[in-house]
Amino acid sequence: MKTARLLVLLSLIAMIGALAFAPAAAQDDMSEFVFAHSGPIRPMDPHSHWYGSTHHLLNLYYDCLIWRAADGSGYVPQAAHSWETVDDTTWRFHLREGATFHNGEPVDAAAVKWNIDRVRHPIGDIPLYQQWAFVKEVVVVDDLTVDIHTNSPHAYFENDVSYNGCELIPPAYFEEVGQEEFNRNPVGSGPYVLAELSENDRYVFEAWDDYHSGRPEVDRVIYQVIPEPSAQVAALLAGQIDMMKGVPAPDRPTIEATDGLTLLTESGNRMYHYYARVDTESGAFPETFPDYQPATLDINVRKAITHALDRHLLAEVHGSASARLARVCSYYPEGMADKYADPDVIAEWYNPDLAKEYLAKAGFAEGEGPTLYLDTPVVGRGGSAKEVAEVAAALLEDVGFTVDLTVRDASAFAVEVQRSGNNRELMLAALGCGPALLPLFYNCDWSAVAYSICDEDWDAVAEAIQVTIDRDARLDLWEQWWEYYIDLTQTITLFEITDVFALNTAEFDFTPRKDGWMTFRDLKLAGM
Amino acid sequence: MRGFLISRLIQLVVTMFIVSVVVFLILRLSGDPVMVVAPDFFSQEQIDQMRKFWGFDRPLGEQYITFITKAISGDFGTSYLKKLPAMEVVLNRLGNTWILAAASAAIGITVAVPLGVLSALKRNSLLDLIITSMSSLGTAMPSFWLGLMLIIIFSVHLRILPAFGAHEPKALIMPSITLGVGMAARLSRMTRSAMLEVLNQDYVRTAHSKGLMHNTVVMRHALRNALIPIVTVFGLQLGWLLGGSVVVESVFSWPGLGRLMIESISVRDNTVVQAGLLWIALSFILINYAIDVIYIILDPRIKFQ
Repeated sequence: MKTARLLVLLSLIAMIGALAFAPAAAQDDMSEFVFAHSGPIRPMDPHSHWYGSTHHLLNLYYDCLIWRAADGSGYVPQAAHSWETVDDTTWRFHLREGATFHNGEPVDAAAVKWNIDRVRHPIGDIPLYQQWAFVKEVVVVDDLTVDIHTNSPHAYFENDVSYNGCELIPPAYFEEVGQEEFNRNPVGSGPYVLAELSENDRYVFEAWDDYHSGRPEVDRVIYQVIPEPSAQVAALLAGQIDMMKGVPAPDRPTIEATDGLTLLTESGNRMYHYYARVDTESGAFPETFPDYQPATLDINVRKAITHALDRHLLAEVHGSASARLARVCSYYPEGMADKYADPDVIAEWYNPDLAKEYLAKAGFAEGEGPTLYLDTPVVGRGGSAKEVAEVAAALLEDVGFTVDLTVRDASAFAVEVQRSGNNRELMLAALGCGPALLPLFYNCDWSAVAYSICDEDWDAVAEAIQVTIDRDARLDLWEQWWEYYIDLTQTITLFEITDVFALNTAEFDFTPRKDGWMTFRDLKLAGM
Repeated sequence: MRGFLISRLIQLVVTMFIVSVVVFLILRLSGDPVMVVAPDFFSQEQIDQMRKFWGFDRPLGEQYITFITKAISGDFGTSYLKKLPAMEVVLNRLGNTWILAAASAAIGITVAVPLGVLSALKRNSLLDLIITSMSSLGTAMPSFWLGLMLIIIFSVHLRILPAFGAHEPKALIMPSITLGVGMAARLSRMTRSAMLEVLNQDYVRTAHSKGLMHNTVVMRHALRNALIPIVTVFGLQLGWLLGGSVVVESVFSWPGLGRLMIESISVRDNTVVQAGLLWIALSFILINYAIDVIYIILDPRIKFQ
């Protein structure tokens, strides 16, 4: 009897202890918005990583000099109230008088210089400096004025200074506490302060009364990491979260039928492409496949592939996408978005007979095309890459190819194929499409690490784009650039992903940003 | 007693050494973390620079010696991705895992032992049939399915329990029930069979014939002697819980060690994986030792040796 009593007593103690030590939830009258973040969330030091979905969250907490307008129409002030060009290579920023970080440290020109100098230099393992290589020097003009000098005229200057790594942190505090402590107890200057941080789990932000542009309307914004989409849907239907991104297709009717919940869609600014191998030297390929000659070395084979793929069908299989011919996202309309996103042009591009003609030109008899090794991850962003690859394989086999499809777990795909350069004929890539970086990716200098393509004439056009400030002149250059892109057929673009969101519109008013960032500075209370 | 402790301590050191070598080698052979962390536009030179920064350019033996030397003093290095000490990252999650394990084990043991004893005492009765059927159902039922069902009932429809997280005490209820049900099912079967074996022993008959009360015979003579296999299974289950339950932690977005391990393995955050796996190994070993001690308490015929 004693033993049984002891067991029951121990069990009760364990249960009570477990409940007692679990932290209590905040209960108050503050308006509270909970966003389900799929995770993982990276460190709070904004200069130490390039993970987009973490920078979304950091944007609530840190100000940049300027920021991309939510509707894609240009740029809006943040720490700088205004800015101008002094000459082709100098940009001047005027900072707000009296603006401070959350700890009271001033947001002045010296702080801006310290931040940009930190992010543009390869210190330790800070990986963002490549994105900031356009900066030649940062000069403090006076306490509230700072000049950024670029190495050459920089067409995408405003885009680049409002991107990853632009977040300002307080220099004195950071130098005092170091990176580790800063990650535990960060300090920013954005409209929200951090009330609670449970690393990669729960980030509670509360509106900052002293923000230079006024206190945000919603009192509390919580990023809650919920990795499973089904768990996000359950939490949404239970009224425990207010927004999720990437609503699974089978759950959409239920959400639509639920009072107070609304489905929203916006361009995801991510695209699916097939990379074709056009060399045998880059990555680990020469060691892994020493004597292998990929069929895609022949441009006629690549052209056969691009005309064999029905992009509208592939977008439909994905379930939430729009067909595209080139790497032109909706948010960055530079570069012939109208032409390469035109449904009729894309429909005409799918031409199995033309694909067969290209295969014949490549020396293959009808129905006896080469074998294509096609690597794909199990799940891509916002949908299933596996199903897309299976349909693509069927379309390619229809024109005479033999397809050897290999599907891997996403992380195994990244390590074993994508990042190590072990791809053979075709490999799926789900990537963005910012015009500032695109010309670099296809540059001869980067051919060993990016897409293995090198065409000096194409490079010359790319270089001209980057230094051409005049937009009309730049668009003419883009037109040429995209012709090379299509003609060389190294990247075979399939479609642009459309994000599907669910929002608690009974309580909140929010329009998804055009750039796809899940940040909530513009969040409003419904009916206000 | 002293000899027992010394021999167990030596075993602990040897086992942890073997685990550390195996974990270290497997992680090094499973892929290059730099390839995961570096942006895809990094040149080979930049990748090499990162590799050097983290010490991956050095010979494997040298890397291991550096790792184990620091690990002995509790320094498992810095998480490549979280930019925090790896052990701190693990310890941040360990508390949640222990809370969940304690609650699940409490549910498991309080449900399993009485039901298992009852089932054995009422062998072949309707009650026995019900308990063994429930036990089979509990064993067969996948934890993710049970978890999702609980969420649908108690979060979506009844709206009385949170569907995710560990930010409020109520959030513990559903994940601990999900884990506790499986544990209770396995333990109750074990309790029943152990009790049945013991109830047929001569000393139990003797106790009855001496005129002892039925409850006294069952609890003091039968259950006490049946506890050894139950404690063994309980120890294994507890060790498994302390390693974190990946499935349940994912379904309930519970920030525990299991989820941390999966996240860290998928992005090759080796320092965190090393620290986490060594913790899990240590938990298993210590639980086994605790079980050994409990054996001796339960059965004085077993000596410290």
